[in-house]
Amino acid sequence: MKFGIKMILAAAVIGSLSLSGCASTIQYGDAGSAKPLSTEFGSSDLQQIAETMVDSMISFPPMVELTSSRRPVVTVDKVKNKTMQHIDTESVTDSIRAKLIRSGKFRFIDRTTDAQTVEELKIQQDSGLVDKKSAVKFGQQIGAEFLLTSNFSEIRQRAGDTTDVYYKFTMSLKNLKTGILEWSDEKEIRKVFKRGTFGG
Amino acid sequence: MKNTGNLIASNVSAIALIASLGLTGCSTTAGVETTGKTSWDEEGARTLEKKVVFNNSGLKGDIEIVDAKSALAGDIMKAQVTLRSKDSDTIPFQYRFDWYDANGMEINSGSGSWKPLIIYGRESKTVQSVAPDPRGREFKLKIREPD
Repeated sequence: MKFGIKMILAAAVIGSLSLSGCASTIQYGDAGSAKPLSTEFGSSDLQQIAETMVDSMISFPPMVELTSSRRPVVTVDKVKNKTMQHIDTESVTDSIRAKLIRSGKFRFIDRTTDAQTVEELKIQQDSGLVDKKSAVKFGQQIGAEFLLTSNFSEIRQRAGDTTDVYYKFTMSLKNLKTGILEWSDEKEIRKVFKRGTFGG
Repeated sequence: MKNTGNLIASNVSAIALIASLGLTGCSTTAGVETTGKTSWDEEGARTLEKKVVFNNSGLKGDIEIVDAKSALAGDIMKAQVTLRSKDSDTIPFQYRFDWYDANGMEINSGSGSWKPLIIYGRESKTVQSVAPDPRGREFKLKIREPD
């Protein structure tokens, strides 16, 4: 009988150990996890938007034709963020740009690093340190043929205990010479939060 | 003495039960995997070898892989898998596509992300993906229950 009591204790210890596995721990999570924590814009939303936009753009028939023999030069415009949230939209366009570059179909110009470029070229040209033959001259960069523009909006509705947030990310590729939008697509995301009866 | 033996046996099963409860509390199921590999037959036509693996018997009762297709957009491979719900309820799933080149090497390894998918009762739905670059010749679709 004594042995039996010991077993009950052992069961309690093992049980509590395995249960405590879920409380107050720190661990690495999956960077690609799609678990929503709130209706706010989250990492999975960013990944979904980036993947949808890139998949759509590189498989759109006129784009396939355009990129079959050459890699057009594109520049990225800032996202017009019309949501009520502060979102690092550059991070969204960075993901899209990285995926497009890695597809091998497009080349990009990055205007955000122009100040550093000018500084480096000035040193190469004026400091006397760099061999004139290898020094990069001003005015040789390639102009972008296309501009990648995007709009980001949200519609937030609240009724009773339910909050419904609808996000829409629209992206277009504008031909800078003709002004024509050569490609456009949108990604919609809906997130619904229902407050539990005993929830805080 | 016989009594004690019974008590020990029931306690051992109690330990196993409590321990398994604790372990399943935080884990995510592996789910369903579908692969499609492009190859060429003797006449030079493109074919798709398909394979479906169920790692989770619970999910097997909920969802069925109806079809896997592929097409080329220029030199980039597109994949489409048709799923059908066997359940009468609306079920949330997560899916992701991984892409491999002709040698079976994963492209952009580890960079994929899970996407949410909602399938209504007895509904069939298609999920699509485009290879990250022209090397992509084989895809793997993974489906799991939300974590």
